[in-house]
Amino acid sequence: MMKLWYKQIVSVIRLEMKKTFFSKRGLWVYLLAFAPVALYMVNSVHITRQRQNLVQLATEHPVSRSVFNGIKTGLSRDQVVEKLGEPYWQRTLYHDRESEKERSFVLYKYTDGKNDFTYHFKDGKLTQIKHRDPDTLPKSQLIFATSFQFYFLRLAIFFGCVGIFVNLFRGEMLDKSLHFYMLTPMRREVLLAGKYFAGLLATVVIFTSSTALQWWAMLWQFERGVIVDFLAGPGWTQFGAYLSVTALACVGYGSIFLAVGLLFRNPIIPTVAVLLWESANPFLPPLLKKTSMIYYLQSLCPVTASPDKNMPPVINLLISPTGPASTLTAVTCIVLLTLLVLVLASRQARKLEINYSTD
Amino acid sequence: MAVYKQTYKDYSGTRTTPWFRFLILSRYSYARLFQSKFLVLFLAACMFYPLGCAVFIYLSHNIPLLTALRLRSGAMPPIDGQFFNVYCVVQGSLAFLLTTLVGPSLVAPDLANGAMSLYLSRPFSRTQYVAGKMMILLLLLSLITWIPGIVLYLIQAGCAGWDWTRGNAWLAGSIVLGLWIWIVVLSLIALALSAWVKWKIAAGALILGVFFAGAGFGAVIKNVTRTHYGAFIDLMQVVHTIWSDLFRSGSRADLSVTEAWVVLGVTCALCLWLLAKRIRAFEVVK
Repeated sequence: MMKLWYKQIVSVIRLEMKKTFFSKRGLWVYLLAFAPVALYMVNSVHITRQRQNLVQLATEHPVSRSVFNGIKTGLSRDQVVEKLGEPYWQRTLYHDRESEKERSFVLYKYTDGKNDFTYHFKDGKLTQIKHRDPDTLPKSQLIFATSFQFYFLRLAIFFGCVGIFVNLFRGEMLDKSLHFYMLTPMRREVLLAGKYFAGLLATVVIFTSSTALQWWAMLWQFERGVIVDFLAGPGWTQFGAYLSVTALACVGYGSIFLAVGLLFRNPIIPTVAVLLWESANPFLPPLLKKTSMIYYLQSLCPVTASPDKNMPPVINLLISPTGPASTLTAVTCIVLLTLLVLVLASRQARKLEINYSTD
Repeated sequence: MAVYKQTYKDYSGTRTTPWFRFLILSRYSYARLFQSKFLVLFLAACMFYPLGCAVFIYLSHNIPLLTALRLRSGAMPPIDGQFFNVYCVVQGSLAFLLTTLVGPSLVAPDLANGAMSLYLSRPFSRTQYVAGKMMILLLLLSLITWIPGIVLYLIQAGCAGWDWTRGNAWLAGSIVLGLWIWIVVLSLIALALSAWVKWKIAAGALILGVFFAGAGFGAVIKNVTRTHYGAFIDLMQVVHTIWSDLFRSGSRADLSVTEAWVVLGVTCALCLWLLAKRIRAFEVVK
């Protein structure tokens, strides 16, 4: 019997492949998944070119790093030029004539070949110094961790799973094609398992390849030696951890949205509820935190993401600090939750009746 | 009478004035929408915050009660631009959730079931169709946004007196303008996405995605490129910037007020273009 079920599951997966991977309705999932890849690639290309440009500018306008430390706000333009020489780039922004007094806003740019300094002069006095230091690997790792945890896990994979897993049953209802499956001599649980694995395969392939490409695009801006040293150290472990977290997120969220697609005629309401619950996770008390998927997924991430610097202090106070779950606990909890949801969904699938109403 | 004698003939009954024809759609849609108990409950829940604000305004002017509670009248936060800005943020978020619930079912079913030709074969234009559908959202969202906001302003004006009202008349204008901008943008996005994907579930997910994933990806752009360009696709931040300007409260947003207005203008134009492209009496099926 197991052999038959296995064959049936494989057949369902084969039938579903085209619908999940190449459906026009699911193209936006690719956009969600691969937009960060494009962003990292553009950034890496830009940083590499900017780095080369800064080195060239530094040879044309040489300034030593130590001289920059002596530049403080309040200095006049002439004093700055006296210390640093002529800038490699300058611009007068605009003249404000509102208060009958002409005011000039001038920008000067200097570089030592690695760092980029922008000086803002107002009425000839230095009022603001902006310093752009070069991207280092630890800094890029932190940026990757932040965007992975706050965008990729919470939003891209979340909405991707909504799009793919809800569509597995609801989409068939819309296309009025679910009865073809129901007429086959196949147990409903087997159909559900087949559809779940098809969705899982699609999401895992799409999102893990996106994670891998993002990782590659993030590292691309660095020199070969830096990358080799990093990969020889914690690099591969971190890479593996990110891929595993991505796959586990697909496993967990996939099961939830498959059940949502089966249980609710309008899955938007439960989707919003899950989204709000997952988004509110940082503010929940420790016990409630452990009832959300994102807590376990974040516990498995190799680098802790930095909190949002722009968050108002009052809201920052509401964040309840809780230690991460151990790897074993996190994986066990996600797998158990998935199994529980799938068992409940398969029980629901047994009672499923076709109602091709207008969705 | 034999069936063959029932030939087609002109409608001879009274016709609705062309200017108000779009309201017919709204009337029927409300009748359908209010059958949903969840929607009624949600609308009731949306009134909790304005009610709490009204109680707060009343308490902050009730000196005997404050004395009994051993509070000085100055100890209460002032009812000013910041107070109404927070009100806009809270009710604006609820308006967004309400749009996600109601918006997707407005146009998508008509397009999916080929009903557009039935509407447009009558003396009813595409503009009237869009206006009628939009009116449903505008009225529902008004009920939970600027109408309670103006009531709160009037309560405060009644309690604080004429001097406060005269000095803060701009607040009333800011409440109405700020929230109207938001509900118009929400309505246009909901209608455009509903018309574009033709499936109300996908449209709902897409509306959520535009706001949540837009904000998330905007943060990623800011984080990765260390520029403020990500704020352009974060519509929540865009409208918060406009509200902060309208309510004269400090904003820590990454984009200027002019940029925020431009982003909203472009968003609305894009939605109108999508609607003009999708709402047609015919459809080419490939």
